[in-house]
Amino acid sequence: MTGMLQKMKNAVRSRSIHVTYVDTGSCNGCDIEVLACLSPRYDLEQYGIYVHNNPREADVLLVLGCCTPQWEDKLKGLWEKIPEPKVAIAIGNCPLSGCVFNREGSYVNPPASKHIPIAASVPGCPPRPTEIIRAILSLAPTVFKDYEEKRE
Amino acid sequence: MKKTVDVAIPIGPVHPCWKEPVRIKCETKGEQVLSVEVELGYMKKGIERIMRGRPWQEVMFLAERVCGICSVVHNMVFIETMEAISEIEPTERAAFLRVIVNELDRMQSHLIANFSYCYTIEHETLAMYLLNEREHVMDMIERITGNRVNTAYMIPGGVRYDLRPEDAESLRETLALLEKNLDRYMRIFENGPMIALRSRDIGILTKEDALMAHAVGPTARASGIATDLRTTHPTYRKLDFEPVVRTEGDNYARIMVRFEELFRSIGLIRRALAMMPEGPVRGGGICKGGEIRYSGEAPRGELTYFVKADRYGRVEDIAIQTPSIMNIDACTHHMLKGVLSVADVTATFISSDPCIACNER
Amino acid sequence: MGLSIIWYLKEFCRGTWIKTFLFAKTAPLVDPPYFRGYPTLTGKECTHCLSCMMICPTPGAIEVLCEGETWAPKIFEGHCIRCGLCIEACPEDVLDAGRVLETQARDGTSLSVRYQVAVNPDTCVRCGNCVVACPVNKEADPQLSATGTSANDEVIMRIHRGNLWVFHDEKCTGCKTCEGVCPTGSIRIARVAEGRQGAEE
Repeated sequence: MTGMLQKMKNAVRSRSIHVTYVDTGSCNGCDIEVLACLSPRYDLEQYGIYVHNNPREADVLLVLGCCTPQWEDKLKGLWEKIPEPKVAIAIGNCPLSGCVFNREGSYVNPPASKHIPIAASVPGCPPRPTEIIRAILSLAPTVFKDYEEKRE
Repeated sequence: MKKTVDVAIPIGPVHPCWKEPVRIKCETKGEQVLSVEVELGYMKKGIERIMRGRPWQEVMFLAERVCGICSVVHNMVFIETMEAISEIEPTERAAFLRVIVNELDRMQSHLIANFSYCYTIEHETLAMYLLNEREHVMDMIERITGNRVNTAYMIPGGVRYDLRPEDAESLRETLALLEKNLDRYMRIFENGPMIALRSRDIGILTKEDALMAHAVGPTARASGIATDLRTTHPTYRKLDFEPVVRTEGDNYARIMVRFEELFRSIGLIRRALAMMPEGPVRGGGICKGGEIRYSGEAPRGELTYFVKADRYGRVEDIAIQTPSIMNIDACTHHMLKGVLSVADVTATFISSDPCIACNER
Repeated sequence: MGLSIIWYLKEFCRGTWIKTFLFAKTAPLVDPPYFRGYPTLTGKECTHCLSCMMICPTPGAIEVLCEGETWAPKIFEGHCIRCGLCIEACPEDVLDAGRVLETQARDGTSLSVRYQVAVNPDTCVRCGNCVVACPVNKEADPQLSATGTSANDEVIMRIHRGNLWVFHDEKCTGCKTCEGVCPTGSIRIARVAEGRQGAEE
């Protein structure tokens, strides 16, 4: 019975993913590429991925930007507001390495994995919409699979 | 009269309407907004500080990452500043190619601004139409420069890649398609009764207020101030450019100014394609020392770079003045004052096309 | 009301509408050939000149690593910003991305980088560390003394009569070893890049 339930959960979760994104100090380049995924050409919603801007109804948090000091506590707060099951995906170079901003003297604190657990990443500065969608699609069937078992 | 404040409503920093973190505090009395305060500083990275002591080939990439939406113009103004310091002239073909790419960038920036506005007033159909048109523009930028955003196209003395004949042909085709579609979308916006209810006579910025707040770019041009630095740019003068000016000063006018500028950009690209001579695209030239202040017209208004370089062409000191800060100031102190509903705060704020990443760097 | 229903029915019965409704496809998730992606190796031999590392604007994006007998540049995803400067700077066409190499060959464009040694005489303490550490100096004059004095004129720089003299800027490979060993931070290597087109001068 529980196995059946888990299978149903897996099937549903892989086909309906609600995404929210947070900009922790990016240059807007990755923002507009995520926005371009919504455009009718790439049409993210046909894969069952919906972009919300409310962390309380999201499953996936897209982290953009290189984690400025102002975001340290706010990013954690945002992450705690997302209900389980949840994952965070880092989009672009900035949350991975700080990109060109990670120099001596700048006010950035990358990588984002210092602050919240990052499940996957899409490198690129900025990644093309095709790369973002490919990454999310490759992640979608597996990321929430047997989430309850994995957690235990 | 003592003003009575009912509730102070904070909007942001994570809000569905703005893609970037900014916090607006509205002091309201009933539905009416009495005063608005903007809280910035969520994205400060200190780009100007890390630019110091670096040669142009590194600062160029930092400069275009000041703002991802109008990255081409940041690149262009920085490179033209370095050229002005070092007395390098771009080759003639490169000058026209710069105009073409800059206008394509302006088109995508205006399209995304209008998309955001339509999305904010919940006219999602038109928003998605505009976002789809933007993809055609992005395709053209990618064809010419090799990347969609943060293109790194211009270098001192010219541009990096030449325009191929087949790309020029597809550019002409895309421009024809865009003109046809955008004409339709502009008429949807112009004649939509629901859009008019949300946009007309809301967030009015009078000419006096605009002058007082030093509004720039489309925000100023919608209030009747004919300010456009493209009229003084040497290459644009060859293409006889005329700025778009409207006099209403409300949300509707600001969006319509951007729509009309899209058509001006299409015209500019067509004329540039026709006038472009054959020849080299890289003129060479080594950056020298000196200091200069140089301004160019970004999609959001006047963009100023102050650069001091040492004798090896390295940036010793740099200051960037971006257009959005003036527009945000004009927006909070003049447009949003006395807005009749809290729901219009987001729409008005978006209509002035604020770019927070530009502001805070 | 009635008219509009008829209008919609008519609209939905049009051949083009049905065709787009049934066969509309979103764009395939592939990158176009003109997209400048991550640089890839073309298979040509890397000469270990490190031009790509010197021009790279991003910290930690490219490194030339030794794989067995040969050297090869390695791109680190997550750091690389795909600017394509390393492709243009490489004299041996080891890397390629998108249409960069093709365009470069067609237009005859190139990116030349010179290195200039800039010494701040006010802060320089004439210790000679930079002279000793410089790998080009070591090759030019193996008998370089530990104080940085040398009898050889072929070195990039040397200590002469209590001063640091820079003789041959053009030999500098831009490795910046001297910057690292300088105790006062008074020696800096300026990388002067210039985009050129046409025949090499």
